[in-house]
Amino acid sequence: MGFAAGLIFVGVYCLLAMKNVIKLFIGIEVISKGVSLALLAGGFVRKNTLLAQSLVITFIVVEVSLVATALAIIINIYKHTKSLDIRKLTKLKG
Amino acid sequence: MILQIALLSGLVIFSVLAILSKDLLKSAISLAIASLLLGIIFFRMSAPYAGVFEISVVAGLITVLFILTIALTKAEGDVREAKLAKLVFPLFFVIFILIDVFVMKSLLQKIPALPETAEQGTFGDVLWKQRTFDLVGQLAVILAGVFSVLALFRKRDKNE
Repeated sequence: MGFAAGLIFVGVYCLLAMKNVIKLFIGIEVISKGVSLALLAGGFVRKNTLLAQSLVITFIVVEVSLVATALAIIINIYKHTKSLDIRKLTKLKG
Repeated sequence: MILQIALLSGLVIFSVLAILSKDLLKSAISLAIASLLLGIIFFRMSAPYAGVFEISVVAGLITVLFILTIALTKAEGDVREAKLAKLVFPLFFVIFILIDVFVMKSLLQKIPALPETAEQGTFGDVLWKQRTFDLVGQLAVILAGVFSVLALFRKRDKNE
């Protein structure tokens, strides 16, 4: 659990400090690793590994579709602004 | 126990490398190695299905998607990260680890152990019978993902 908390901290720090959109997304991935580790560690302690496994698999499936959508959005952002800098995303024009 | 701690430490170290490395490609590969280590940890926690999913889907598919996006955007040196953020990170990280160890030690002694309920049946029983509704949700999420990607990549009409 301590290591899961560490992973979540690393991800949150990345979200707060970085400017590159892809780096921010890598931060989200690191957070999701921490969450799945926490889920399975909880199940392992309670000897409920099967239930924890099914929850982790659900989480991974959701994560994949999140990644696909977010990377598509990032490519569209790059097409619009010719940059991956989060500071240039100040206009909400289509 | 020592191996488990080494694997967990490796997982944290590669995650830190993934966020601190300047080259996006190296970041993506560090993330893949972190996923691989997480998969091995899942195997060692007697959760083979979760381990297989983690290694094949997260370490494989998501890394490929990341590398594809990095190749399509080709703007690696474009974004200047604040140097202060990288310099201050070790300080914050050490402070967080100290707080983490302190809190975990105090929690281990004070929280009463929950009653353990031994599980019955197989993984298939749990997934298909207990968590049936989750599977419907998963299907909905996958469909939503497919439609959103299709919507994002559709070609625009000339009138728009």
